[in-house]
Order: sequence, then structure tokens, then C-alpha cells
Amino acid sequence: MNGVTLFAALVAFGVVTGVMSGLLGVGGGTLMVPFLTLAAGLSQHAAEATSLLVVLPTAIVGSLVLRRRGVGDLGLALRFGTLGAAGGVLGALLALALPGHVLKIVFACFLLLISVRLVRDSLVAE
Amino acid sequence: MSGPLEGAARTTEKPPAHAAGARRTVLGLEPRFIAIGIAGGVLSGLLGVGGGIVMVPLLVLWAAYGQRDAHALSLGAIIPISLASVITYGAAGKVHYGEAIALAVGAVAGARIGAGALARIGERQLKLVFGVFLAAVGVLMLVRA
Repeated sequence: MNGVTLFAALVAFGVVTGVMSGLLGVGGGTLMVPFLTLAAGLSQHAAEATSLLVVLPTAIVGSLVLRRRGVGDLGLALRFGTLGAAGGVLGALLALALPGHVLKIVFACFLLLISVRLVRDSLVAE
Repeated sequence: MSGPLEGAARTTEKPPAHAAGARRTVLGLEPRFIAIGIAGGVLSGLLGVGGGIVMVPLLVLWAAYGQRDAHALSLGAIIPISLASVITYGAAGKVHYGEAIALAVGAVAGARIGAGALARIGERQLKLVFGVFLAAVGVLMLVRA
């Protein structure tokens, strides 16, 4: 891809990521990291670092929109997110010491269980 | 569109799980939020997934928040979490600023659309969309691990 095409592709992918992020309350790194490694040719570490820089303004803008709409509680979110930031450092240190593969498999199964429950809840009328 | 009862889940002040005036501790947070914040951060650092994937299910299943408010809280909590990570990675010099700016231009526009949609979508549709998203992330993690 040349520079202009890549820029356009990145902006377009950014829009998709932003919509998912605002709707699902996630940062969007899950989508951006694979895209940056596969389409833009970044290394895994560079892709993670770059995606985090996009997550920050995305989360700020999405949160401001939701605050204006009266959804959620931004003050509460910022406070427990601050603890989360401290937890993130701990998690990164633990990652160096623990078997990552096993943990990922366990967590993936946990996600699949939750997804089954969510989909079931959404389809079964109360 | 939303049914008449959807609005009931939008109030964040006193969700049923901790309406009984729990003791407040760190940063004025109830113990459950302290646990969810730390769990979100630790798991995302440990597993390389975003904090939202961890926090949204915990907020819904454990803190008894409505789906919509859980997503909004998770997005807000991501602000300090990503800020801390950006500072760490930025210091390590790994960020590709050109790509980040291009993505951010689109993502900021998209976030307005997505957050607007979150404010309107029904709880059940949101559960379905998020459930499918979690399943996709789970399958991807299994494939890569």
C-alpha cells in the first residue's frame, strides 16, 4: 500500500474501531492491533503501543458523549479506572512470571461462557 | 427500539447489588469497584486484552449494573488505564505516530457515533452484540494460544 491508500485505510478502520468502542465500551485495541500488524506491517509491540495512543482520545470522546446523554457515571469510572491503571502495571509484571498460554486458554473459555449467557439472555424473552 | 422499561436500567446511583450503603474505602470507592478496577487492570496487563473485555462482564454479572451503564462505565475507566499505558509505552519509544494519528482521526469520529448508538440501543440488542463480540475475541484467543 502506498502512503495515501494506507492513510485512508487507517482512517476508515479507525471509524469502525471508534463505533465499536463507543458502543461496546471497549478500547478497540482488540481490533486495531491485528490490523496494524497485518495491514500496516508494525511489530506486535509497536502495534500495541500505537493502538493505546488511539484508545485514549477514543475513550475520552465516547465518554463525553455518554456523559452528555446521562449514561453511566464518568466520575465513578475514572476513579476505578485509576485503580485499574495500577493493576495494569501489576498484570504486566505477572505476565513475565506466569504461563501466558494457559491463562489465555482459561480466559478465552471464560469469555465464551459469558458470550453464550449474553446471547441466550438477549434471545430469551424475560 | 427501546421498550418502556429500558429506562429503568439507566440510573447508576443505586444499583440493587450495593444499595445497602457499603463502606467506602480507596478513592471513595466501594470494595466491589476497587476489585473490578484492579481485576480489569491486572487481567488486561496479564493477558494483553483491553480492560473493557474484563470490566463489562464483571460490572454486569457481579455489580448488577444494566448492560448499557456497564459499557459506559467501562469506557470511562479505560481513560486512566490507557493514559498510564501510553505513558509507559511512549517512554519506550514504540509508538508509530503517523499511524496513530490516522486511526485516531477516524476513531474519534466513530466514537461519537458508537456512543450515541449505545445511548439508544435496547439492552437485549446490546447483550447480543457484545455476546457475539466476546465469542469472537474468545475464539481468536484460543486460536492464537
